[in-house]
Amino acid sequence: MRDTSPPALVQVDGLKMYFPIHSGVLRRHTGDVKAVDDVSFSINAGETLGLVGESGCGKSTVGRALLRLYEPTAGRVIIDGEDIAQLSSEALRKKRPTMQMVFQDPQASLNPRMSLSSIIGEPLVEHTPMTAAERQGRIYELMDQVGLNRRFANRFPHEFSGGQRQRIGIARALALNPKFIVCDEPIAALDVSIQAQVVNLLEDLQEKFGLTYLFISHDLSMVRHIADRVAVMYLGRIVELSPRDDLYARPLHPYAEALLSAVNEPDPDRAKTRKRILLKGDLPSPANPPKGCNFCTRCPKVFARCLTEKPDLVHVEYGRQVACHLFDPINTASGSTGGSEDQEHLQHGVTQ
Amino acid sequence: MLTFTLRRLLLAIPTLLFISLIIFLLVDLAPGSPMSEIPLTVPPEVRQKMIEALGADQPVFVRYILWLRQFFWVEPATLMDGWFGSHLAGDEQRILSWQSRSPVFTVIGQRIPQTLTVIGTAYLVGIMIAMPIGIYSAYRQYSAFDQLGTLVAMIGFSVPTFFTGTLFIIIFAVWLGWFPTKYDTTLEVTDWASFILQLKQMAMPVMVLGLANAAAISRYMRSSMLENMGQDYVRTARAKGMTERVVVLKHVLRNSLIPVVTVIALGIPSIFGGAIITENLFGVNGIGAALIGAIHANDLPMVQTLAFIFAVLIVLFNLIADVLYGLLDPRIRYE
Amino acid sequence: MKLKSALLGAACAFAMAPAAFAERGTDGEVKLTFPQAVSIMNPYLSSGTKDIYASSMVIEPLAGYDDAGTLIPKLVSEIPSFENGGISEDLTTITWKLLPGLMWADGSALTAADVVFTGQYCMDPAGGCAQLSKFDGIASIEAVDDLSVKITFTAPKPNPFNAFVGSTSPILQKAQFEACLGAAAPTCTDQNSMPIGTGPFKVTAFTVNDTVSMEANANYRDPAKPAFASAVIKGGGDAEGSARAVMETGEFDYAWNTQIPPDSQAAMAAAGKGQFVVAFGTLVERLEMNMTDPSADLPEGERSTAKHPHPFLTDINVRTALSMAIDRQILTEVGYGAGGAPTCNVVPAPAMYASDNTACLTQDIEGAKALLESSGWVDSDGDGIREKDGKKLSILYQSTVNPIRQDFQALIKDWWSEIGVETELKAIDPSVFFGGDAGSPDTFQKFYADVEMYANNFDGTDPEAYLTQYKCDKAPSPENQWQGENMNRFCDPAYDAMVSELSGTRDAAKRAELAKKLNDMVTKDSRIVVPLVHRGTLSAHSNALGGVKINAWDTELWNVADWFRVK
Repeated sequence: MRDTSPPALVQVDGLKMYFPIHSGVLRRHTGDVKAVDDVSFSINAGETLGLVGESGCGKSTVGRALLRLYEPTAGRVIIDGEDIAQLSSEALRKKRPTMQMVFQDPQASLNPRMSLSSIIGEPLVEHTPMTAAERQGRIYELMDQVGLNRRFANRFPHEFSGGQRQRIGIARALALNPKFIVCDEPIAALDVSIQAQVVNLLEDLQEKFGLTYLFISHDLSMVRHIADRVAVMYLGRIVELSPRDDLYARPLHPYAEALLSAVNEPDPDRAKTRKRILLKGDLPSPANPPKGCNFCTRCPKVFARCLTEKPDLVHVEYGRQVACHLFDPINTASGSTGGSEDQEHLQHGVTQ
Repeated sequence: MLTFTLRRLLLAIPTLLFISLIIFLLVDLAPGSPMSEIPLTVPPEVRQKMIEALGADQPVFVRYILWLRQFFWVEPATLMDGWFGSHLAGDEQRILSWQSRSPVFTVIGQRIPQTLTVIGTAYLVGIMIAMPIGIYSAYRQYSAFDQLGTLVAMIGFSVPTFFTGTLFIIIFAVWLGWFPTKYDTTLEVTDWASFILQLKQMAMPVMVLGLANAAAISRYMRSSMLENMGQDYVRTARAKGMTERVVVLKHVLRNSLIPVVTVIALGIPSIFGGAIITENLFGVNGIGAALIGAIHANDLPMVQTLAFIFAVLIVLFNLIADVLYGLLDPRIRYE
Repeated sequence: MKLKSALLGAACAFAMAPAAFAERGTDGEVKLTFPQAVSIMNPYLSSGTKDIYASSMVIEPLAGYDDAGTLIPKLVSEIPSFENGGISEDLTTITWKLLPGLMWADGSALTAADVVFTGQYCMDPAGGCAQLSKFDGIASIEAVDDLSVKITFTAPKPNPFNAFVGSTSPILQKAQFEACLGAAAPTCTDQNSMPIGTGPFKVTAFTVNDTVSMEANANYRDPAKPAFASAVIKGGGDAEGSARAVMETGEFDYAWNTQIPPDSQAAMAAAGKGQFVVAFGTLVERLEMNMTDPSADLPEGERSTAKHPHPFLTDINVRTALSMAIDRQILTEVGYGAGGAPTCNVVPAPAMYASDNTACLTQDIEGAKALLESSGWVDSDGDGIREKDGKKLSILYQSTVNPIRQDFQALIKDWWSEIGVETELKAIDPSVFFGGDAGSPDTFQKFYADVEMYANNFDGTDPEAYLTQYKCDKAPSPENQWQGENMNRFCDPAYDAMVSELSGTRDAAKRAELAKKLNDMVTKDSRIVVPLVHRGTLSAHSNALGGVKINAWDTELWNVADWFRVK
């Protein structure tokens, strides 16, 4: 896949999402929660990028800011050639069919007062000139695709099981033939037995329609199953972005290492030899991150430089980016998965 | 749903009977006598005779049973007689007010129209003001509009109606001379001029009460909207590329209305209950003024009957609110 | 003399008539507002003032009182007297002669039978008549002929003007109320809300506790009256709102009972749309001095009893000084405004009984100090409080919880401290204070204090019964379960003797003279009662309404037939 290096469908550059803190009697702006702090990556068409991290690390915020469900504080989000962050609200609305989202909680993400067919059909009314009959046909087609019985068309969300609701959510996301889907922990709220079904469904659909996924999850084994490349986030920043197999075989960043040490190892021999790295302390507040490396307060390999200087995400090996002072950047040639934009950013980082 | 409603109605019967007994005992045990407004110059033996004439000297349970019979048999029978010209009630004694010696239901009948017109209009006006304010305040949370809405709601909540009422009287009646201060219950709307007069005399009590009602309902509306605004399905709707209008008015508003409609339904008995202070202040003399007058005069039959009617209405509208909830929210189904 | 005054009144009315109004019903509508709404138009079933006043526009008694408290004939040709033979020499009968040709509003004739029926109606034991005491001691009421009614009493009755006199006992129409006797009385809803009367107006619509609509009675005995074609009484709200509707917005012509704080009175009067009028009856706010020792050190049963005289209030100089230190003018301004007047009398009205006792009206702090000084009450230890023989002038001053009374207490405490008297204030819940519970230490009868303040009045125009209250044997004590009206435990054989003389006196002038003397004995001569303010009922009428003559002795609307629109 690396060799073919198709053009990036999604290009994120310096994305920042700060939530202002107002306090005091006059509700003055006294600080920011830096939920996402300078995140850059790209996703190629047809690719699945896994985004992992502890809860609260900002991964869901990245997903929402990407589709401009939040107004990003800074940065560029180019999806299919247009900077989402700069679009007018009307242009953005027109753009929406291209990019969709599957939410974590299928119950909460479906309007409780709308029937299944109106949930799936609503965007069709808004964005297509379909007649009612065509629309009904399309709704049935989508229901077939996600494996829902057509008889259910007039039922309400609360009448379905969790797995079925997530299928509804997926059908709804598919309705307008999107190119890019953000899957925001789509299986977290589901039973383990259902999780695999939904992930398989997502994979099948990707194959069928050539979809591009940003797969956000804290379930590292599921990410390993579905993702081509994986970004590890810690406290609003990406600490490592590597191809899946490289990452799982040999995580570079100390945090990625610690995170992966907690994953159940399917091979019993390797499981024996591996030791779990237990992190001490709690996640610092994103409103008040450490001065140096965000991970410096918990890192088992911390040294003096980490406390004062924030490491940039740089290429340390072919196709692998890490933000850690332990690793030295390499001068990468073109052909990296990051694309030209990424390189510019990298060089920028180096010269700093 | 039908069986649920029927079951609830059946269950309401013992509840209401029990409530009626409790009200009767409470009103009876309350200090004061029907003679308390009579000057001290009337000698004790005359008072005793007056009490006997009212039947107030009978034991409490005899009076309660009599009241039950009057309320559930004589009054409905009298109503039937009035409609169909039958003679069901015969010469049986209706519930008489101790204060005015006229049938309690006649008094209620005289007072319902102005209470419903004034208090009902105020409630409607309140809702109509509250809805847009609540919706927009929530949509633009912490905006200047929201802050202003919060301020107005705070004022509406915390400033008592006797104060706003007096303020309005001084501004609109005394200074500007736009509206009368005393509501004329004898005014009949027959033409445009009398309609204008009616509007003028309703203006101040409706404004005062409408403000108070709007304050409460707009807060409900706002918080309900805010609760739904943060839901995932709203994000879904946005992600679908729906216009803001559709997102707010279709997705958020419809879901937010469910609890608000319930609150509004539960508030309807209070329309019948009237607004004691406002009615008194503007001389609307509806049910609220009748109740407070009856309480002052220890007019037990009047207080008892009104309190019981309120109890019936409250039970009824609780049921209506529950049924409405079931109709509006597909997640709720009654067996 | 009675005849003369009646004739004079009639003459006055005739003299005024052509000037003020020419014809019945030419002045449109007169609008009245009462803070308490009218419940019923039959005063026999209610003793609420609102109901009595409203019904007085429709139904009338045989005789009433004018604004000076003098009896005036209404449905009769003259007031019965010994001179005209209306009252028998033995005081056991009174005969009323109806005016000939009187008609009810429905056009039927008013006869003696209606009067007899009215008596029967109220005296029915099952009727629960609120005015039964008006018919006390009546043996029989009979129609001598169509126009004469004779009332026979069971015993001699010095004051026979009770039944059918005044707006509380008007004549009902027999034909209308015949079916409403006894137990049926309360059930006659239509009759009770729309009685047929002889008054200047008749009821056209009645909504309970809200509005009474009336129109001019076509059969009213004076063809030129009333000037108004219709009248309306709107009830409800409060005194402030009623006053405003007359004085500020001009929506109404007349508002009864508009007692509001003096500053509001002034502000409303300044609007220039109307004026306040006050009906001064006999209500007097006063201080009562305890002549017995209320000390808590005394055993229960001996506190505030004649056994232990008060250590210093028994000294008339102290009582006088306390009275001199008070500025009654300021009290009146602070508490009642136009609704009160400073007074030194316990019997402030009617005019014929009011003593010319005005000496107390001027405050004299220096005089009070000098008086105490000269009678040996000096501040020897320099603590600002005078004492004599080891007894300090330290007073416990009690009253009821009431904002005006607390203002009075504070002001009086200040004045008394200026003359070297220490005062401790106490305010008691009115229902306890006036409740008469013999078990409570805080009733006004027990008087476990040195000075107490409240208001009292008497019914009607004759003060005899009221003055009897200060007799020795009326003092509350443990022996009579603390019943009695002589709170001061005042006891003067001369006073008792004079009260007896009063009850045996029939001549009006002589009675008035005795009553004034008795009044002076308890006030300026002894200072056991220190009157402060003569309180009235404040009403308001618009400047566009003419003919209003406020009356404290009968309904305020007694001359509503004479009211007219000022053009």
